[in-house]
Amino acid sequence: MVDHKECSLLDEHIASNQRKVSLTCVVNGVEICDTIDPTMTLLHFLRDRLKLFGTKESCGEGECGACTVIMNGKAVTSCIILAIEADGAEILTVEGLAKDGRISILQEEFISEDALQCGFCTPGFLMSTRALLDRNPDPSEEEIKEALAGNLCRCTGYLPILKAVKKAAERERKELK
Amino acid sequence: MDHSNYQTDYKHVGQPYSRKDAQKKVTGQAQYAIDLDLPGMLYGKWLLSPHARAKILSIDTSAAKALPGVKAVITGEETDILVGLYMQDKLAMAKGETRYQGEVVAAVAAVDLQTAEKAISLIKVDYEPLKPVLDVDEALDGDILVHEDINELKHVEGVFFPQKDSNIASLNKAKRGDVDKALQEADIVVESEFSLPAVAHAPMETHVTIVQADPYSNRIVVWSSAQSPFALRQMLAHSFKISESDIEVNIPFVGGAFGGKAGIHLEPLATLLSKAANGAPVKLIPTREEEFNQLPTRAGMRGHIITGAKKDGKITAVKVVYDWDSGAYADYGVNVGKTAVYSGIGPYDIENAAVVSKTIYTNKVFSTAYRGFGHLETHWTIERQMDIISQKLGIDPLDLRMKNLLEPGSRTISGELISESSGSVKDCLAAVVKEIGWTGRKTEEERRKEWATGKVRGKGFAVLQKAPAMPANTSTSVIMQMTGDGRVKMMIGAIDYGQGANTTMAQIAAQELDLPIDRVEVVENLSTQTNPYDWNTVASKYTFMGGNAVIRASRDMLRQMKDIAAQVLHSTADHLAHGGGYIYHIHNPERRIAYEQLALGYQYPDGSGIGGPLISHGVYMADGLTNLDHETGQGKPALVWTFGAHAVDLEVDVETGSITILKVASAFDIGQVINEKLIYGQICGGVLQGLGSAILEGYKFSPDNRLLNPSFTDNKIPTMKDMPIEVVPIYIENPQKNGPYGARGVGEHPMISVPSAVGNAVYDALGINFHVLPLSPEAIVLGILSGKESILCTDVNCLPGCY
Amino acid sequence: MLSRFKYLKPHNLNEAVQYLEKEEKSFVLAGGTDLMILLRRNLINAEHIVDIKGLPEMAEFEFIDGAGLTIGASVVVNTVVDSEVVKTKYPALHQASASLASFLLRNRATVVGNICNASPGADLPPALLVYDAVVNIAGPQGMRQVPLHEFFTGVKRTVLQRGELVISVQLPDPGDGDKSIYLRQARLRGHDLATVGVASRIKPDGKVAIGICAVAPTPLRLFALEEKINERELNQETVEWAAEEIKQHIHPITDVRSSAQYRLQMASVLLKRGLSHLITKEDNHG
Repeated sequence: MVDHKECSLLDEHIASNQRKVSLTCVVNGVEICDTIDPTMTLLHFLRDRLKLFGTKESCGEGECGACTVIMNGKAVTSCIILAIEADGAEILTVEGLAKDGRISILQEEFISEDALQCGFCTPGFLMSTRALLDRNPDPSEEEIKEALAGNLCRCTGYLPILKAVKKAAERERKELK
Repeated sequence: MDHSNYQTDYKHVGQPYSRKDAQKKVTGQAQYAIDLDLPGMLYGKWLLSPHARAKILSIDTSAAKALPGVKAVITGEETDILVGLYMQDKLAMAKGETRYQGEVVAAVAAVDLQTAEKAISLIKVDYEPLKPVLDVDEALDGDILVHEDINELKHVEGVFFPQKDSNIASLNKAKRGDVDKALQEADIVVESEFSLPAVAHAPMETHVTIVQADPYSNRIVVWSSAQSPFALRQMLAHSFKISESDIEVNIPFVGGAFGGKAGIHLEPLATLLSKAANGAPVKLIPTREEEFNQLPTRAGMRGHIITGAKKDGKITAVKVVYDWDSGAYADYGVNVGKTAVYSGIGPYDIENAAVVSKTIYTNKVFSTAYRGFGHLETHWTIERQMDIISQKLGIDPLDLRMKNLLEPGSRTISGELISESSGSVKDCLAAVVKEIGWTGRKTEEERRKEWATGKVRGKGFAVLQKAPAMPANTSTSVIMQMTGDGRVKMMIGAIDYGQGANTTMAQIAAQELDLPIDRVEVVENLSTQTNPYDWNTVASKYTFMGGNAVIRASRDMLRQMKDIAAQVLHSTADHLAHGGGYIYHIHNPERRIAYEQLALGYQYPDGSGIGGPLISHGVYMADGLTNLDHETGQGKPALVWTFGAHAVDLEVDVETGSITILKVASAFDIGQVINEKLIYGQICGGVLQGLGSAILEGYKFSPDNRLLNPSFTDNKIPTMKDMPIEVVPIYIENPQKNGPYGARGVGEHPMISVPSAVGNAVYDALGINFHVLPLSPEAIVLGILSGKESILCTDVNCLPGCY
Repeated sequence: MLSRFKYLKPHNLNEAVQYLEKEEKSFVLAGGTDLMILLRRNLINAEHIVDIKGLPEMAEFEFIDGAGLTIGASVVVNTVVDSEVVKTKYPALHQASASLASFLLRNRATVVGNICNASPGADLPPALLVYDAVVNIAGPQGMRQVPLHEFFTGVKRTVLQRGELVISVQLPDPGDGDKSIYLRQARLRGHDLATVGVASRIKPDGKVAIGICAVAPTPLRLFALEEKINERELNQETVEWAAEEIKQHIHPITDVRSSAQYRLQMASVLLKRGLSHLITKEDNHG
């Protein structure tokens, strides 16, 4: 329970606007400079400020992975990262996966293996997988499960996702040499 | 799975096409309700009752109203909006009394979420906590009534039967033969009780809702993560006493539903907020915690079953009572209770049977539809009981089932005749036991030997049935239009929330019209302003009903094309055929006209035209169904049964209780595969969701009925590490005469009976009959330590909320 | 989130300590995987968030022969999981790290954060405890060292005083012939808090050390049990005896995650499995 009295300074804070901080980062290859409230999460920065709605909010507590983005090469849950922590960072979201008007091999395999149903968890799975294949182009089944177990999906039962990741890894090794 | 293995004689039906919306979903372009950002939009937040049952003595909203940025503050005191699907038992916000921890007491709309949250923290409510009705036992005692006005509650009469001065929202029953006499004459009578807790739907997108209510007229515009736009429109109109045509419901992409987004949820609250905020659009984004403890769940259930059998294994009598812990409001719960009657003895031909199903009010989060609509729960009772009977009779559980399963000529408990066209549960069972290599239960000696290694293998199986649970007059409709370049756009009344309805319907239209699949499109993002009616996107009914409607719309369009082509080709329509995008003369195929020449009307060389833009429609209404007789349960409730079976091979760690699911073989008599890729997805997903119910999931309540696990931290769903090592889908194709190409629905079925099959396999492994779910590592270990052969809830230290 | 905090990312330790001492309602941010949940659920009211990821001493992750391993406060758990030296020198720590939460969270969660959060069920403390880990603390009065087994004072409570922050946790070099293992039981295979976690270690001198979580208000080092085991010859019989004896040394509670009875039973099973594994390993080498 929150003690309401303790929050009585809040309006003053909002009014004074003193707490705003400036943030510079690179998102999907584009440099972004913004002034934000320090309480803003990275997820809400991406969605509310940059209007990149591909990254989803589902649990808000890092338990489901729907908000996964790649930050400085690592897959992270953006719902429990402050946007200001991304100052100076390089961020990749689902919107940055397709290049030159073509969707990536990974995205193609998610489609052809039907590794998605409602699609709400899909951006998170794609980002976790992208980070995995970037550090390990030939992951074992166990390594795939380890990397993706933090992403929850209620629709697919995961088997189609596992297959899509394996096929994408194989194709990337062949086609992206 | 190589999806292309599946061959048929059809050009498009049977093809494993990728889902049509997949590219939008992998690029982040698919917009869900949570992604919508409307001009002038406000954000709502709401205050939940911390008590399971309490009197609201006073609410002070003055500080919230005074907060800059707050545009509206409302409480239940100020409104009388009733919401009720089958029972008019729920107010949009609690008034005077709260009936579950999680019920909405007050709400605000503000310029942003942070301000709204702050405003909520400033609302002060004085409660007088009251003793809650904890569980079905207390509810049946009837000392405290969850709804004191139960005798006056408006409800759908003749279908639901609230009991006077009780907590029973509806009592439904069915009977066949003389069950008491048959029990007396049986060689063996087995009496058991099975139970399972409430379980969360856990869609990845919560019930996000936006409403804009025009302050100057009755007009209400809704954007919602909902699965039943037309039912939602109807109920919202009813609640606000306005016309359905005043309401526009828009459904963007939906992030999972599983039954939990059927009906009406946050829309009335959002409407009240929008009205109070002078018509600004108000967005409600439930947190995951609210999704667990405010929004409805799957009911907990207790099944009491008495079965009589002859020595040879012929079951002669069964008597079942289902008690549903349906929580504070009836919602779809009463309909689940009703369904448990006509499907309540499983796919068996039992001459003497009696089922009573009670949907019971308690002071808990209320229940609603959930994938399987009560069948996972009833089959947990039926299929575990079959295994126990086989143990007692010393008959192989496969033989026992085969002796009693429905077959052509059998009648269900409601008196429906099973025919060759109904599909075969026996074919399904035979296929799955073969797949796991069933050779009979292990002997006590084999079990002891394995036990010494610390790990014991077990195999088990269970059958299942389900028909769409829907009103006897359920209908659906489709509108089809052709674009000037000869492509087809369809508007359907169903939501594609991931099951693949849009792709399946496009395939059927492509098949009928003989067009490439990429020339047929189902319009995404339904609006009740433009799309034609469908009852609800629930019940595994849409492939069947929507498919039939699409076939009719396609044939209507072909007929229109032929009528015009007949004039142009100087022939008659019955001499014309279609194919490859042309209408042509059957005896002289060179005499032909391309679809695109007819699409907007045919134009003669002199510039004049005949015909006009091609628009067709197709409807399908359930045919020959009836309500059930209240006393006997006799009638025709089932449009189409889909039968199935699961077999499970697992390994139990006898020290830690952890279960490893090695293999699940699942067979369904779906009549005709329309898209194997999509069905495979339904099976993998349904099986894992069923395994969640089997070994992991469940609500836990404190002794005063507060939900103890309202987060993914403690209300777990399976992860990628928890999936079975192998899932083998098996498609049985005994065609359904009135189904599209013989097809039946299979959306819910993969989940049903998975816990039963697991429970039976655990018996095979351990020689212990578990009567309670989930079969968590803890339950298994405490079960083993108890030294008992039958494990009830009390043996595994369950918290309240499980029976 | 109702908290309206200022964000500070100091570039030297002094600045951080001074800030934490001066400002009430200041909270240290490293990985944020616990702090952000507390903020979101409004379980704390923060006015100042001090991000320590800019402090160079916090990034230290180094093993020195003879001296041991130092893990700075901003070192994330996956760094430890990937470390070859941890894998070979401190297997229990490797296993505990690899079983903590999910891969995604381990990319942010820090080892020191797992300690400072002082959750009774935290996975890393049992493994750190069996290695006699020491916590390095900076504060207004300068530096101090606290053995990890004295660091926890209750559920979510530690010895840290206002203005203090943990710089690193330090583990002695176990030397050659050291063996350890961390075993845990959870409700599912995917990410979950431990129902019980047990770290077992056999030191080069043959003495046993046992750390455990989720059976008491704090993670525990079971010194009394160790003493009793160490009085005996370490063989399978002793292991079986210890697996029973452990039930006298812990007093778990029933909560939403598990009953006390199951926790007690799992402590027994995991200790038996851990020690059995270690003595079998010894036999193999012998």
